Amino acid sequence: MIQKKVCMIGSFGVGKTSLVARFVRSIFSEKYHTTVGVKIDKKVVEIGEKQVTLVLWDIAGEDALTTVRPSQLRGASGYILVVDGLRRATYETALDLQGRVGEAIGPVPFLCLLNKSDLRERWEITEADVEALRQRGWPVLYSSAKTGEGVEDVFQELTTEILRVPNVRDDTANEANRRGI
Amino acid sequence: MSLASPLREVASQDADKEVPTDPYQRLRQLLLGPEQAAIAGLQQRLDKPHVRAEELSRIIAEAMVLRSRRDHALQKALDPLLEEALRVSVARNPQLLADTLFPIIGRAVRSAVANSLRAIVESLNETVERSVSWDAFKWRLESLRTGKPFGEIVLARSLRYRVEQVFAIHRETGLLLAHVAREEGARENEMISAMLTAVQDFVHDSFVETEGAELDTVELGEFNVWIQHGPKALLCAVVTGTPPRELRNALQRTLEELHSNFASVLSGYDGDTESASGMRPLLETCLVGRQPRGGKRTASQAWLWVALPVAGLLLALVVNLMVQRHRWNQAIESLRAEPGIVLTSEETVWRGYRLSGLRDAMAADPAEIMRRAGVDPVKVNAHWEPYVSLDPRFELPRHVAEEKARIERQVILFRMNSSQLDPQQLLGLDDVEGSLRSLQGYAAASGSKLRVEIAGHTDPTGPEAKNATLSQKRAEEVIKALTDRGITADAFTPVAKASQTPFVWKSGSYVPELSRRVTFRVLMDNEQR
Repeated sequence: MIQKKVCMIGSFGVGKTSLVARFVRSIFSEKYHTTVGVKIDKKVVEIGEKQVTLVLWDIAGEDALTTVRPSQLRGASGYILVVDGLRRATYETALDLQGRVGEAIGPVPFLCLLNKSDLRERWEITEADVEALRQRGWPVLYSSAKTGEGVEDVFQELTTEILRVPNVRDDTANEANRRGI
Repeated sequence: MSLASPLREVASQDADKEVPTDPYQRLRQLLLGPEQAAIAGLQQRLDKPHVRAEELSRIIAEAMVLRSRRDHALQKALDPLLEEALRVSVARNPQLLADTLFPIIGRAVRSAVANSLRAIVESLNETVERSVSWDAFKWRLESLRTGKPFGEIVLARSLRYRVEQVFAIHRETGLLLAHVAREEGARENEMISAMLTAVQDFVHDSFVETEGAELDTVELGEFNVWIQHGPKALLCAVVTGTPPRELRNALQRTLEELHSNFASVLSGYDGDTESASGMRPLLETCLVGRQPRGGKRTASQAWLWVALPVAGLLLALVVNLMVQRHRWNQAIESLRAEPGIVLTSEETVWRGYRLSGLRDAMAADPAEIMRRAGVDPVKVNAHWEPYVSLDPRFELPRHVAEEKARIERQVILFRMNSSQLDPQQLLGLDDVEGSLRSLQGYAAASGSKLRVEIAGHTDPTGPEAKNATLSQKRAEEVIKALTDRGITADAFTPVAKASQTPFVWKSGSYVPELSRRVTFRVLMDNEQR
């Protein structure tokens, strides 16, 4: 079995938790968000022959009072940036967050998820904004917690990317280890 | 160097001294002068104690250290001296010692008291729990068989903790390296290990300022999670019961071994549990301890919950039976003591009792006696054969009853439309008078009240209003006749019945002559005057 730590990051109320609620195994209650600041879920993804267990760190939303703590990001193999299509501010936060997360854990695979795609006609985020993200080299996906659209794809794509990219945190000992095997 | 200069030196040194004139002496001084001076110096050192003390003081500490390294002679030699010195010191100034001990004595006493109290409680618990248990018996046997002291076996067998699960967690990622448990279940160990890491980070970020301080114990009711931190991995042991401190050391040793044996796996862990599967045997060595007694107790407590009500019910039944038996015996006693009741047989049957015997009509009501003793008369199937008791206690009541009956049998008849006493009827009145006198005497003796209701009746002819007056008059006439004869009842009550109760034969035929009458009813109140 292969396990990977994956963080879910985004502004408060972008729907991180409800997005995955239907697709993951969960044993911890919502309360952990307000107490510990993070809720752990599990998602098993199959990539070809391989079964990968994603340990999802659903980190409490970033707002004026809470900021993402580096200790929560440490050791993540990838992350999902969630943006609420209805609120432009969450888009700005995501840009800021991506920079900070990159600093904290290095260039690990990530996806940007534009949530609430079922309400496209009311979006504050424009096509131009999305194009700007793509210009930055961000993989952008649309999703809807309500319809479930795109959610499975998110996990599939991210996991594929994580497996493709060698573990950037590997140090020389690990390299030697792998060659040995 | 010439000889002259030392000579001059000696001469100058000894300038203040007397220069011997004797050539031999002079030669001696010349040849041995410095040695003589040295000897004199040595002599002086030996002769003057303060000089020796001065010299000794410079080396005594080193000397003592050297000696004490070699053997214990110095300690032995000093021991009595120190004791004596201490004794003298305390005798001279006790306050000094008190002041010296003050900062530590409180702590020492407290910990000594706490320790001995704990030991007492512990040993009491042990004694109570072990002395009569099955375990104690087993351990005694084992002690006999192996020749080990009983106490040692008790200690070894009664460690009250058990390591239920051990997680090895990769420190950086919070990913699970390996997990072992006593009972394998489909637990979400990956999530648990991540959550444990998150909780630790949370505690660390929120409360702990100092670098290197870590969360090492989480208590959840009877569960303890003991966390041991290493540079690359954490070891979390889920323990039930009260683990000893040594467990911490054992975990630490395991963690160190984990780091040295799996250094390469730990430094580049990519989440592949296969690579860390070799850790399992090492973790399994941490699954120590035995089932805490708490668990067993819960089982026996569960059993108790069932047994207690049943036992309570049984007890209640037994008590109830005993109470009923007692009441029944009381009732039987009372019945036997009752005059006019002869009990010939009594037996207990299913859900009740059977009684048979003789009963005088004058005797008390057996049902009432039962009720007074607390026995429900409904449960008693009684058969009483009537008889006449010769008990002297019934003599008087029987007499009273007879007199009463005699009076009530009497009827004073009247002619039509008349309230005049017919002379023929006076005989009947004589009878009533006699009986009343007799009852009067009884009433006076027993302190009861004699009341006589005298009812006047008419035949149904004529208007009822007139009949009422007539019947009243007839009753009053009889009362007057009786009082004229000197009978003073407590109360003669005239009752006007008019034609409501005509005299009717059993055949149903109505007899007007016998309806015009006065009848009597005697009421004896046992009321104390």
